[in-house]
Amino acid sequence: MTKLIIDRRRFIGTAAATAGALASPAYIGRARAQGGEVNVWTYADFVPESFKEQFEADTGIKVNIRLVDDQGKQFNLLAAEQPNPTADIVTVAGHRFLQFIDSELLAPLDTGRLSNWGTINPVYSESDWSTINGNKWGAPILSGMEVLAYNSEMVPDEDTRSWEPFFSDKYAKQTAYVIQDMLSIVMLMQGNDGNMVEYMGDPDRAAEVVAQARDFLIEKKPLVRKYYDGGAEVQQMFVNQDITMACAWNGPIAALMADGFPVSMTIPKEGSYGFVYTYNVANNAPNADNAYTFLDAILASPEIGAAMTSASGFISTFKGAEQHLTEAEKAATSFTDEELAGMRFFRAEANDLKYSLVDPAVEAIKAA
Amino acid sequence: MIDHAAQAKTGSDVAAADDPQGRPTFWGRVTGNRAYRALVAVLFASPRRQFLILAAFPLVWVVTQHLGPMLQMLNVSLLESYPLSAGEEASLTFEHYRKFTADGGLFLKPFFRTLTFGVVLTFATLLITYPVAYFLARHVKRENQLSLLLLLLIPFWTGEIVRTYAIMILLGNNGAVNLALQWLGLVERPIPFMYTGFSVSVGLIYLTALYMLLPLYSALEKLPRSYSEAAADLGAGTWTRFRRITLPLTLEGIGSGCTLVFLISIGYYGTPVLLGGPNTTVFAETIAGFFHTAGDEWPTGAAFAVIMFFTALAMAGIFTRLIAMLRKGDSR
Amino acid sequence: MTRNSRVFLSIVFWAFVVYLFVPLALMILMGFKDSKFIGFPIQSWTLDWYLGVFEDTDVIGTFFYSLAIAVASTAISVVMGTWLAVLLTGRRFLGRGAVYALMILPALVPGIISAIAFRIYARQLGIEPGMGAIIWAHAVHNVPFVTLVVMARLSTQPKSYAEAARDLGADPLVTFVRVTLPYLKPAIIGASVFCLLLSFDDFVRSFFLGSYQPTLPVLIFSKLRSGMSPEINAISTIALVLTAVLGIWAERSSRRMNKEN
Repeated sequence: MTKLIIDRRRFIGTAAATAGALASPAYIGRARAQGGEVNVWTYADFVPESFKEQFEADTGIKVNIRLVDDQGKQFNLLAAEQPNPTADIVTVAGHRFLQFIDSELLAPLDTGRLSNWGTINPVYSESDWSTINGNKWGAPILSGMEVLAYNSEMVPDEDTRSWEPFFSDKYAKQTAYVIQDMLSIVMLMQGNDGNMVEYMGDPDRAAEVVAQARDFLIEKKPLVRKYYDGGAEVQQMFVNQDITMACAWNGPIAALMADGFPVSMTIPKEGSYGFVYTYNVANNAPNADNAYTFLDAILASPEIGAAMTSASGFISTFKGAEQHLTEAEKAATSFTDEELAGMRFFRAEANDLKYSLVDPAVEAIKAA
Repeated sequence: MIDHAAQAKTGSDVAAADDPQGRPTFWGRVTGNRAYRALVAVLFASPRRQFLILAAFPLVWVVTQHLGPMLQMLNVSLLESYPLSAGEEASLTFEHYRKFTADGGLFLKPFFRTLTFGVVLTFATLLITYPVAYFLARHVKRENQLSLLLLLLIPFWTGEIVRTYAIMILLGNNGAVNLALQWLGLVERPIPFMYTGFSVSVGLIYLTALYMLLPLYSALEKLPRSYSEAAADLGAGTWTRFRRITLPLTLEGIGSGCTLVFLISIGYYGTPVLLGGPNTTVFAETIAGFFHTAGDEWPTGAAFAVIMFFTALAMAGIFTRLIAMLRKGDSR
Repeated sequence: MTRNSRVFLSIVFWAFVVYLFVPLALMILMGFKDSKFIGFPIQSWTLDWYLGVFEDTDVIGTFFYSLAIAVASTAISVVMGTWLAVLLTGRRFLGRGAVYALMILPALVPGIISAIAFRIYARQLGIEPGMGAIIWAHAVHNVPFVTLVVMARLSTQPKSYAEAARDLGADPLVTFVRVTLPYLKPAIIGASVFCLLLSFDDFVRSFFLGSYQPTLPVLIFSKLRSGMSPEINAISTIALVLTAVLGIWAERSSRRMNKEN
């Protein structure tokens, strides 16, 4: 239950409108039904309403959406239902693939059945994390990343090029971050691998790297205003002017920008981490054929990608989607090539090692 | 007198098998039923048996349902691992209790912070609500007292989370209090109230004030005004009268109010999470942390909860003793 | 009493009233703000958030879920609480003090400890987190409140009532149902409403014992962390109004019945 609200691993960033919406029991009963249906577990706004109506009208396949708000929760739910899942399509964050694949919850994706596979920008569809055991496992749809968000009326741009000012006395008691996420970025700042893949054979070095990052955050503890957990918290702190800078997922910040609030975001030169949401076909999906029909339809045009972006605040993986965004939406969801150069994707290979060290470090920072 | 007679009439109805027209009533039919009579004859044959029937189920209930969870928590706190894997023998250990002082006293900090918070907040709540209860009990006309009390109760029927949220809107840098202060010209820059010990305190007092107010009010309301008036006749000043008469005679109310508020306020989890900052982590959050992750940390969480429970109980016990001693000392 | 202290006391009293009501008033007000985010200044107003609540099936489902839990747990608490009260006010017996202490225990255990103790016990008994587990935890937690209220009322019942009934040939069961129970009615109504409110408002037990379907306070909590909008204000306000109306009604009716008896 506690996983419901606090995903300690913080794998997912949460779009403003997303996570409050919790699965309605009305869908559970329906999901078992046979025939002209496809059951999709996803976040709010990840299936645009207009697309859904069009798809249902065109194909006669009814789209049942069950909202998830937490990757851990979705994993548990799907694992509990196997081998007879009610879901056809699930929405997995790319770096969680391993967990789902190891537990045989996903079916390999037959990209040959998707005539519109080419819609996806190869940066995402051909990225290092996307091929596992020689197979593709999902269709990338939206991308999220950790950004430095700041109140553009109070923080000059030059203080946002690097993570350094974020930890300086100048912004004492004006910053907020999620400790787990910040630890990875601090490791990056300190020239280490925040995914910890490099240290998989060297537990001593791994412990050293985490300790170094932990000590840095403990040292900087007097400067932070709030360790937060959810996207709405960071939005509210910006609106209340409790903070002027934060390390946050881009989705919630984009939603603030879209509402006209003077906030901006950037990826500082030391870099940051990101991930990709993918649509995946569940292993033993009851309506697998409909699932492929659905996937191919949603990949059909960049407009659909743009609609997903404007609703969720995450960045579409579709080629050319940005051309269908308004200027404000574009500003809220695009980064320069220079910024993107510092982006790294979260990797899951070393997660056991990483979180066995990071979890106690988080408790230590909180208690310190 | 009148309602007593009415009740007595009900009493005679009870046993009457027939209504005035001579038809059997529902109860008449039930009690006239042969099976029922036989059952009653067996069940209530002797006072001893009657008592057993009355007592058996509640006794089982309090032992299994009221005490059971606490005992099970104690049990899990001593298990080496939980849940046990198949075929594993339960082995007992104090290891989880040792973690409490491990890591350079990492967990002691939130623990003592919580207890300090609890004590300070309890006294702050007492200081705030005593005059309120006093005003209500002594300065408001009796017929208005209940209406005003009702007014104070309304916010307390609202849940923890809703009220915590209301405090969040109040205290932000751009919240109502700061805007008011700035508008009045009292401050130039907003005061950072949120995510501090202050915001947590405001929230917790908001939640617990009722548990202090009610015992104080009932103690003060029972206190005959004549005592204080007699003392005034004898020339005692306001403060002396309060210190020598009112305060000692309301010690019992103070005692139960403080105990309740202390035990309740240290148990809150949602409010400190929402209103607190990096330096206000309370023990409830620490304990909850062990239940968020894999099951194998449950024993540590349970051990910490046991430590907190017995410490809190001991503190409440000592405090109650103290109050009792004070009362005795005064009556001498 | 001097004039000064009287003025001082009335200032403190009304300041306390302001402290209690201003946050709630602000919360209600923010529900009318025409923006996705809560905070000052309010530039334009809307009724949409309030109207939206009645169209949000998730919220309505959650509301009835919480209500069902409250009703079911209250039914159990009232039966057990009354039973315990009758036992404890009846004839003295060995271990009565211990039973009294055990009876009151759930009310004295700090929230977080109570929540995890129930969580552990539920797992031990094989109760899955979810509706059943929450009902059970709320029921146990609320029993002492019923017992205390009913005991207070029972202690004012003249012995002669029950004795009269027995003299007239009623067995103990009938005596209880037809004499004692009607006398306890105001106490039971008051205690029921209190239990309903405790259960409906409870956060920490529902949080630790719930499954994917949240109760209303848990839903609000999760929205506060991710997915905040003035809709939360609207939901909270509706919850506030409902609980206040129920509470006031119970106060009035139990007072009226107390007077009649």
